Amino acid sequence: MKEIIKSQRLGEEFLRIKHKSGLTLLLCPMKGYSSAYALFGTEYGSVESSFIDKDGALIQIPAGTAHFLEHKMFESEEGDAFALYAKTGASANAYTSFDKTAYLFSCSDNFKESLSILMHLVTEPYFTPQTVEKEQGIIGQEIKMYDDSPEWRVMFNLMEALFEKHPLKIDIAGTVDTIAQITADTLYTCYNAFYNLNNMALAIAGNFEVQDVLDLADEILKPAEPMTAQRILVDEPAQVVKHRVEQQLPVATPLFQIGFKAVPKSKEENLINQVYDEILLDTIAGEHTALYRSMYDEGIINSTFVGEVMAGRDFAVTLFEGESRDPDKVYEALCGEIRRMQREGIDRDAFERSRRAIYGRYLGMYARVDSVASLMLTTQFGGADMYTVLEAAAGATYEMLTARLLEAFDPERSALSVVTAPKEA
Amino acid sequence: MNNTLRRRRIGEEVYFSSVTDPKFKHNRISVNYILPLEKETVSANALIPFLLRKGSRECPDFTLLNQKLYSLYGATLSADVSKYGGYQVLDVSISGLDDKFTLDGEAMVAQCAGLLAGLATDPNLVDGAFPEKDVELEKQYLIDSIEAEINDKRAYAINKCRTIMCEGEPAALRKYGYVEDVKKITPQSAAETFLRVRRTARVEILFVGCGDCTPAEEIMEATFAKLDRAPIALPEQVRVPAAAQVKQEVERMDLSQSKLAMGFRTGAAQNMDELSAMRLMVAMFGGTPFSRLFVNVREKLSLCYYCAARFDRITGIMLVDSGVEAQNREKAQAEILNQLEVMKRGGFTDEELENTLLTMKNSLYTVSDSLSGLEDWYMAQLMQSTARSPQEEAELMAKVTREDVMAAAQKVTLDTVYFLTGEKED
Repeated sequence: MKEIIKSQRLGEEFLRIKHKSGLTLLLCPMKGYSSAYALFGTEYGSVESSFIDKDGALIQIPAGTAHFLEHKMFESEEGDAFALYAKTGASANAYTSFDKTAYLFSCSDNFKESLSILMHLVTEPYFTPQTVEKEQGIIGQEIKMYDDSPEWRVMFNLMEALFEKHPLKIDIAGTVDTIAQITADTLYTCYNAFYNLNNMALAIAGNFEVQDVLDLADEILKPAEPMTAQRILVDEPAQVVKHRVEQQLPVATPLFQIGFKAVPKSKEENLINQVYDEILLDTIAGEHTALYRSMYDEGIINSTFVGEVMAGRDFAVTLFEGESRDPDKVYEALCGEIRRMQREGIDRDAFERSRRAIYGRYLGMYARVDSVASLMLTTQFGGADMYTVLEAAAGATYEMLTARLLEAFDPERSALSVVTAPKEA
Repeated sequence: MNNTLRRRRIGEEVYFSSVTDPKFKHNRISVNYILPLEKETVSANALIPFLLRKGSRECPDFTLLNQKLYSLYGATLSADVSKYGGYQVLDVSISGLDDKFTLDGEAMVAQCAGLLAGLATDPNLVDGAFPEKDVELEKQYLIDSIEAEINDKRAYAINKCRTIMCEGEPAALRKYGYVEDVKKITPQSAAETFLRVRRTARVEILFVGCGDCTPAEEIMEATFAKLDRAPIALPEQVRVPAAAQVKQEVERMDLSQSKLAMGFRTGAAQNMDELSAMRLMVAMFGGTPFSRLFVNVREKLSLCYYCAARFDRITGIMLVDSGVEAQNREKAQAEILNQLEVMKRGGFTDEELENTLLTMKNSLYTVSDSLSGLEDWYMAQLMQSTARSPQEEAELMAKVTREDVMAAAQKVTLDTVYFLTGEKED
């Protein structure tokens, strides 16, 4: 099944093909580019802490398994995939997020050879007790590196304050203790449950031939069984756990994140709301606002201050982050301004400027091979296509944003996370 | 694709360079003031870009300036300081959508260039001083940036190693300067610094994007024609060929993973062929996920999550760094030096050489697919007084032989070992 998805606004298009193996192919050849960027992703990330298997049994997964699996997929019976990519010159990597795992390469030459390596890598698991044990050493060091990272800690501390049950609050890499529980069997169980081609998509953008992709898919990908693993949705309360959390680490100026917990909706709504939330973040406290100016002039924020949206399958958080000598005052100022806007209405000029700015920012994403591939994959998993977000920015109205401000930015459902320097003894 | 640089002198030591490609949707324009890196001026200079981004004589109010930028489809204004060997670069840049993608047909290039020209050359000085409030806030922010270095332990360790290694050379200086000197800046002294920078620095203006750069070039030429310029020649870059003796330093801090950083010298000034060989050698040694360091220190010995080598072609310094457990330090250091010996005696396969070359070619060809890639590439070229395209660089690299790589490795000597570790011995 082949669809051509077009954007009239951009005069551009991409292909969506449901391959007979079950895999969704998202293909966007781009003229004038030297490189191609391929992203093979599965809708399986760190938030999957348990699932129900085909026999109806509840399977618990140790924290950090999705990320561990990502590392181990690079190994096959013949050795390490990096060694194979070395022969094509491609630059390869992988990442695990809250709700997906993706394997990628970027290349300017030898596209077919690199894509063949990627398809084999993702579809041929190979785990042994020895290789699992070796990885525990490497990932243990990665976890320790993150333990020392104030930026990483301030975020997960915020998640712990916002979420009572949702596995979003658990570090993507797990802990030294949880990864010690992972065995080759754990990895096979999760692989078989979630690395099902029906649950996956391959997004490619840039300099490549569509026919080459189709030929390789026919040759390498075997039809997948229907997906049987059932996800367990967490019954997360709307309220937050606590409004403030603090940790001490060596930092110069305290770091903070202020998060607002929204009630998640359908996947597609979460995707479109993400664009609206970005416009709102800018309307509330972008550099063009009176609030930004007063906080900056008061010396409680500096130019590291920025807004961000984290949304996925069953979560939506908007947040402000930065450095501050008085994060509590920033929190108070933001909540005060949000309440005022909810009471008195959004400034129309500020809304229009923010809408244009977000539109301009999204437009730039369609000019890069890596961001086109990422957008195709993310929006596919979000139940839409990559032009949906650009249209959402272009089509956002004052009324929609007024409604969204009321539902997604509730100071009662917010929290402040701070990392400060240890007090001198 | 034509990603070559077009460069033209538009004033007294003022150059306008452009690289255009229709595939993009934005244009980035940057004004770069290039100055010698000196202890006496580094801190005062570093404050300038952050003051310039606050407003110009034409648009002195920061909030109104940002309202203008937001209306221009979120054109982004940035200002920063960077360091190329012994040079300090102050930049103010603007990135905006091209005219052809606007909803109402605005002349984006001309508007962005006009705003940028005002911000970079004509700040809102009143009675020979920057606004007091701005100076106070931006001084604090600069001090915070200097002190924030400690937040990222990996970068902190690398910088510390370089500082110890290059003591007495400009390369030892920090790009943002020093807290005690930042504190001394006044609204008047900042204005004097700005006027000195504007009068004496070499100026490189870079336009990268899909649009027509002509309006930007005309605006910049007219802007600089009105200014009083007396450029001072930049000194030659300093390069120390070899280490006299190995310096060692251990620092303790509250952290869970220790950081090992090793600084190496790589010989006297090199011609282009030797430079290509050195770059390839460093990549084979520790610049790829199949490099000697990655495969042996990380994969075989499972000692760390990262162990990598990087090369600064201006100073000729190679830095190797790794995050390890304190008790594994000796093992990691021994293996790093052992792998360097392997490189020196040619104990690598032809396949490793070919594969590294492929990887380097791949990353060079990818440069031209993003605006930031192109801008960084050509800025680094201009700092070395060359203007090679990534493609030309790839061709040079393809000529490097196994013997060239061995010869490059043999020039490498260890200079400094710096170790950042936890408070207590394990």
